[in-house]
Amino acid sequence: MQHRAFSATIPTSPQRRLGGPAAPLSEELVVPNVVAMILAGGRVDELSVLTLHRPKSAVPFGGMYRVIDFPLSNLMHSAIEQVGILSQYRSYSLIHHIGVGASWDLIGRNRGATILPPQKGVSDTDWYRGTADAVYQNLEFLDQHDPDLVLVLSGDHIYRMDYQPMIELHLREKADATIGFVPVAREQAGRFGLGKIDGEGEEGGRLLDYVEKPEKPEYTWASMTVYLFRSELLIRVVSENARKGTSWEFGRDIIPELIRSSRVFAYRHHGYWGYTRTVDEYWRCNMDLLGENPAIPIEEWDVRTNLDNAGLRDRGPAHFHEGSTVTDSRISSGCRISGTVSHSILFPGCCVAKGAVVRDSILFSGVQVEKGAVLDRVVCDERARIERGAHVGCGDDLTPNRAQPDLLRSGINLVGKKAVVPAGLRIERNCIVGPNTARHHFSADRIRSGDLVS
Amino acid sequence: MSETVVMLLAGGGGTRLGILAHLRAKPAVPFGGMYRIIDFTLSNVMNSGISTVAVLTQYKPLSLMWHLGTGEPWDMIGRTRGVKILPPRTGERDSDWYRGTADAVRQNMSYVDRFDPKEILILSGDHIYYMDYAPMIRFHREKEADLTIAMMEVPWEETRQFGVAKTDENGRIVLWQEKPEDAASNLASMGIYVFDAAYLRGALGRSSGSDFGHHVIPTALEKDRVFAYPFQGYWRDVGTLQAYWEANRDMLDPASGLDPEAWRTRTNLEEAGRLGDRPPTHIAPPAKITASVIGPGCRIEGEVTRSVLSPGVVVGKGARVEDSVIMHDAVVGEKVVLRRVIADKQCRIGGGAHLGSGGEGVPNEEFPKQLFTGLTVVGKDAAIPAGAEVGANSILFPGLRERDWPSRKIDPGSTLRA
Repeated sequence: MQHRAFSATIPTSPQRRLGGPAAPLSEELVVPNVVAMILAGGRVDELSVLTLHRPKSAVPFGGMYRVIDFPLSNLMHSAIEQVGILSQYRSYSLIHHIGVGASWDLIGRNRGATILPPQKGVSDTDWYRGTADAVYQNLEFLDQHDPDLVLVLSGDHIYRMDYQPMIELHLREKADATIGFVPVAREQAGRFGLGKIDGEGEEGGRLLDYVEKPEKPEYTWASMTVYLFRSELLIRVVSENARKGTSWEFGRDIIPELIRSSRVFAYRHHGYWGYTRTVDEYWRCNMDLLGENPAIPIEEWDVRTNLDNAGLRDRGPAHFHEGSTVTDSRISSGCRISGTVSHSILFPGCCVAKGAVVRDSILFSGVQVEKGAVLDRVVCDERARIERGAHVGCGDDLTPNRAQPDLLRSGINLVGKKAVVPAGLRIERNCIVGPNTARHHFSADRIRSGDLVS
Repeated sequence: MSETVVMLLAGGGGTRLGILAHLRAKPAVPFGGMYRIIDFTLSNVMNSGISTVAVLTQYKPLSLMWHLGTGEPWDMIGRTRGVKILPPRTGERDSDWYRGTADAVRQNMSYVDRFDPKEILILSGDHIYYMDYAPMIRFHREKEADLTIAMMEVPWEETRQFGVAKTDENGRIVLWQEKPEDAASNLASMGIYVFDAAYLRGALGRSSGSDFGHHVIPTALEKDRVFAYPFQGYWRDVGTLQAYWEANRDMLDPASGLDPEAWRTRTNLEEAGRLGDRPPTHIAPPAKITASVIGPGCRIEGEVTRSVLSPGVVVGKGARVEDSVIMHDAVVGEKVVLRRVIADKQCRIGGGAHLGSGGEGVPNEEFPKQLFTGLTVVGKDAAIPAGAEVGANSILFPGLRERDWPSRKIDPGSTLRA
């Protein structure tokens, strides 16, 4: 625990558990006991085949990470050392990734990362009904750690944030709840929970109004799904919500109500905040690692990942063979490149053979691009193979994908895990090749824009 | 192979590696972009299914101790697995520094005894190779040997650096020459020995010889069963700067046979500098990479040709790095030109400096036997001022500061100290 002095005092429970932080030396020096809960459960349809086998928080990102590495690393850097991870959808990949928590230093006497799956309780159906319900169903976790404050985070965003200044603001203002906000463009704003913040204070101020995903946005500060609550308050509101709730979501049921009844503050976050809700956003957010001055200064963020899960332990350095051309790309360990790679992100162990071209694409671990194959704006899941001379991403027919017309329309193609794109095949735009698709699944030698093969 | 205990000799000073081994033991010298030399032997041990290793250290062991950590990177952690570092210590007599390979083993036999092994496998941490020791141990058992030595054919002109042997048709060694002037065979010892444990205990007790090659093996040959186990494949002693540079170059050539990833070579990604946490390398505009090997966490904006770069190296715009080996977190400034340079960790090369151009035929004045092939060596943490011009075969010592430079122009074959 990072020891910080706060001018404000906060109530501490008189009987602290053994093993909790040491008792304060004086009334003036109190380090609150903060526990984090990460909402990592969601299956997000918008990411299509990328989330068929994993929750969104476990989706690979940026050449070696998983999305959840970002909040986990933030917690580590913020010296918050007890983390519960609320997970529901296909959690194996996430469980495997979190491991014992050692990757984020979340291991030790008072440190830990605990996966909290839905449990069968008194009533029959206890699947998490929403984010607030997920927290409600794990009050036991809070009871065990008996925190002063609970930080509820989404596991889905790409950002670097020190949560401590937010905690300081919360304590200084004697707030009941404090919510992190970032500025967004007005035309995008309707997709977020939006807040009206009192005053122009650099750090933040009282939250005056909150609207979840309005059709006509009035405000341009978006909720980051970073909520800090006084523990007792959180327990009370999620318990009430469990009985009376309608959406069981913090953004819909709880926050708007709370503004009226309690001291709710907004903390302004200044800095990159990447959201990856759709394939387009996911792709763009990855591309923010590129360019002369990347929008994501990943070298400075010190993001940790599970090296075993990233398959990094057995990888050597990247090989750039004679005749290869690589421009503005991120290349991970164990990649072997003989062809041309530009403006792309390659995860560990990708091979790009002679004469192959990879452009504006994201290749997850172990993707093989054979001789003469061309990839243009493709997201390829793990161990996909693009055979000789196949061409994924050709032509300029932008017919939207027939399964997800609203979401796959900008020309990106998705190739699922372990899929094989047969030699010589041409795939136009906005297509989805399902996981494990094999040669015999393809009936034509040209897949038209918007098609689905699985 | 739980009946085998490995004793890995990692004590060597590696004087011929010059300033690369100035602050660390030779097995701890970085190699091939992200490894250290000892990783090859440790990974071989892991991949051979052997799980108990004693590492015998002596010379500047700190880097090595950090690197070995808990042994976990090589799976040597668990109830019956482990790596132990055995440093020299005072015993009955005052100075018990290891006097040689056999002496180091002799002083640590009590450690080995507690495992009650059937065989003791003695390895050195100085070589780049892949070998499964299990077939060699089976060979040793089949031959009911007291001692089995792994041997390979080397070019005749190199026999002077090795112990060489002649064998009979069963592979039994009938003649041994240690570093001969006039070799009778080109079958050379790789410094890999399988000893019957009881036999080794007896042999080390009977004699006071300090070196396997000079003392123990010649004595054993007289009446004991000593066999040669034939090895074929990539194996390199990287004991000299030139050999070190060439072996790194082998990383660039798929036909060389050196392929650490295919060999399942592992390193410690968690040690100081945490290689594993480095983000993917950014080949940033307008970089140009040709035939090179590059570790994670680098940012390349210049040209890199036929070179090996360790994690975290920065190559500025307009810089040209050719035929070089650049280690962790070195900063190569804008418009720098490096030719045949070996640059140790964290050195900083100021903008526009030229290193290694001119005077390739002028040996280093002070260390003519170490450095005469046109390489230039930059020590760990050395600072090279902007605009410096350094001729080939020069040595820039670790920790060099700008104030240590007599002028910006350094003649070939020079040595600059901090």
